[in-house]
Amino acid sequence: VTTDQLAAWSALGDRTRRTIFERLAQRPHAVGELARGLPVSRPAVSQHLRVLRQAGLVAEERVGRERHYRLDARPLRTVVDWAGHYERFWQHHARLLGELLEGGD
Amino acid sequence: MAAIEVDQFVPRPAEQVWRALTDPDLLARWLMPNDFKPVVGHLFTFRTEPVPQHGFDGIVHCQVLAIEPPWLLRLSWRGGTLDTTVTWRLAPEGTGTRFLITHDGFDETDPAQQAAMNILGGGWRGHLVGRLLSVLGGDAQDG
Repeated sequence: VTTDQLAAWSALGDRTRRTIFERLAQRPHAVGELARGLPVSRPAVSQHLRVLRQAGLVAEERVGRERHYRLDARPLRTVVDWAGHYERFWQHHARLLGELLEGGD
Repeated sequence: MAAIEVDQFVPRPAEQVWRALTDPDLLARWLMPNDFKPVVGHLFTFRTEPVPQHGFDGIVHCQVLAIEPPWLLRLSWRGGTLDTTVTWRLAPEGTGTRFLITHDGFDETDPAQQAAMNILGGGWRGHLVGRLLSVLGGDAQDG
């Protein structure tokens, strides 16, 4: 896990930023849209977006006169792989145990 | 604390499943080659392919922590950066047996393991991880 990846995960240590991140996982949003559904001020949302951008998790793009924010989940790839690895490992081997005993007798 | 939990129905009686968990040759056939002995305190290893990207040299160092035939076997599970515990439980179910695996004891001070446990054990499971993986899959070429 690199420093960039750790920055990404620590940025997601905050509940509000996780909520923002989950919304952006659905589709890109403008700041105003994000602020409407959250119990924090619009400047606070901008601040959270800045942290997410610095962590490489969110990209900004201009759409007409608005700025839209979209998700960039690439810095999380290693840990997602890591997490899934052990679950898949046990699922695979539990299936093999089942097959071994069903085949035997 | 968060844990990885997996379960599997096996259409065989518990005693037969237990033998597959505790006989080194049978254990090797569904899991990994080993020098297991069903004795509390016994130190042994499982040997498999190394996984360099997880800092894993292919050797899992284990100790038998608890054994209650034919229902429970608990092992310490150390390999790569992991220092964890694996518990295998059997429970009767109809004419067969439910095999339950719990892998826990992940180091909560290690940010990578902590993040992984958040994903696997927390409210993120399912909805976000699914989307995250599809997003990552879509970016696979340039990632």
